[in-house]
Amino acid sequence: MTRLLTWSAVAALALAAGGCAAKQAGSYVERSVDFAQYRTYDWAPPDPLPAADPRLAKNAYFQDYVEGAVQRGLAGKGFGKTPAADPDLLIHYHASVTQRLAVDPSDRARGGACYDATCGVRVQEFEAGMLVLDVLDARSGRLVWRGWARHGVADILNNPERMAARIDAAVAGMLETMPSGAQLAADPAVRVREEGGRK
Amino acid sequence: MTWTRPAWPLAAAAALAAIALAGCAATVRSYMDRRADFSQYRTYAWGPADTFSTGDPRLDNNTFFRDRLQRAADARFTARGFEEADTESADLLLHYHVNVTQEIDVNEMDQPYGYCEDCRPAVYDAGTLTLDLVDRRTGRLVWRGWAERSIEGVLDRQEWMERQIDEAVLRILERLPPRL
Repeated sequence: MTRLLTWSAVAALALAAGGCAAKQAGSYVERSVDFAQYRTYDWAPPDPLPAADPRLAKNAYFQDYVEGAVQRGLAGKGFGKTPAADPDLLIHYHASVTQRLAVDPSDRARGGACYDATCGVRVQEFEAGMLVLDVLDARSGRLVWRGWARHGVADILNNPERMAARIDAAVAGMLETMPSGAQLAADPAVRVREEGGRK
Repeated sequence: MTWTRPAWPLAAAAALAAIALAGCAATVRSYMDRRADFSQYRTYAWGPADTFSTGDPRLDNNTFFRDRLQRAADARFTARGFEEADTESADLLLHYHVNVTQEIDVNEMDQPYGYCEDCRPAVYDAGTLTLDLVDRRTGRLVWRGWAERSIEGVLDRQEWMERQIDEAVLRILERLPPRL
């Protein structure tokens, strides 16, 4: 029984994290744009939508950690934060939390037949966090890339270490599919790898 | 706990099939103002974007979604003989709304009595895309078409999203009244 409970807990966590085989992070890209033309970026104020969750948006630790993780991630992609005016890119992020429902994993898994009292669906509510990172061309004001990552927030809101680990994973996950910028694209090895991947 | 441990690959395959099946069943409908004379409309323009949340933060202010949708709709309107004009002179103003809500399919498992074979309750995201045509001079809505379906996982991948946009726009605008 203990074993079953553990198994259920793990399954519930996996579900709360966003469903069975659902992707946890991804991105949208403006395909007509060559990212190798971009070298520098700066932070800009976010759009009014989506509405940010105050537990994250007003949490200085969360904000600092996201900004740090994004800056480290973008440096790894060949973009540098510019101390001067006139950056190539402007970036901002949104952190929102929505109430989501999940069917109890054992009900999903049952699959077989049921009758009378053995039928029934247990539905759980959980809070799903979504982090969206927008990258805009500073000159045209056009959105050229948007990354996203989601995860249940119940276990991270009051746990700084877990929050930090989740943010690192979220930012790494979304940036994985981002094209490289000027500071990396000059490296012929990277160039070849990216062009190979594009085919 | 009398039920046996489920065969996971089988369950997963069945769940995928269920999602794929639910996905096919897009509902596409339209309303029209019967007093409107569609033969008088020649030009259209895109109206301002929504300023409220779509229900999925990834879709809010998503210009990739907007551009794809407008391209798909422009192609249909051109094929129908409409021309794009500027917002001050166009006969019709075109608006779109997109909305995502989470739905539960209890799959008949909520009955107090009875038998349920192979029940698989599920939660999924349902997406609705609405296209509105407004007569610019009178400000009246003259036509509304919409498509609704499960979009579970669709927003996770840009290519899936784009394919769904193309399909939804095509099917919605098929319902436009003929222009004589």
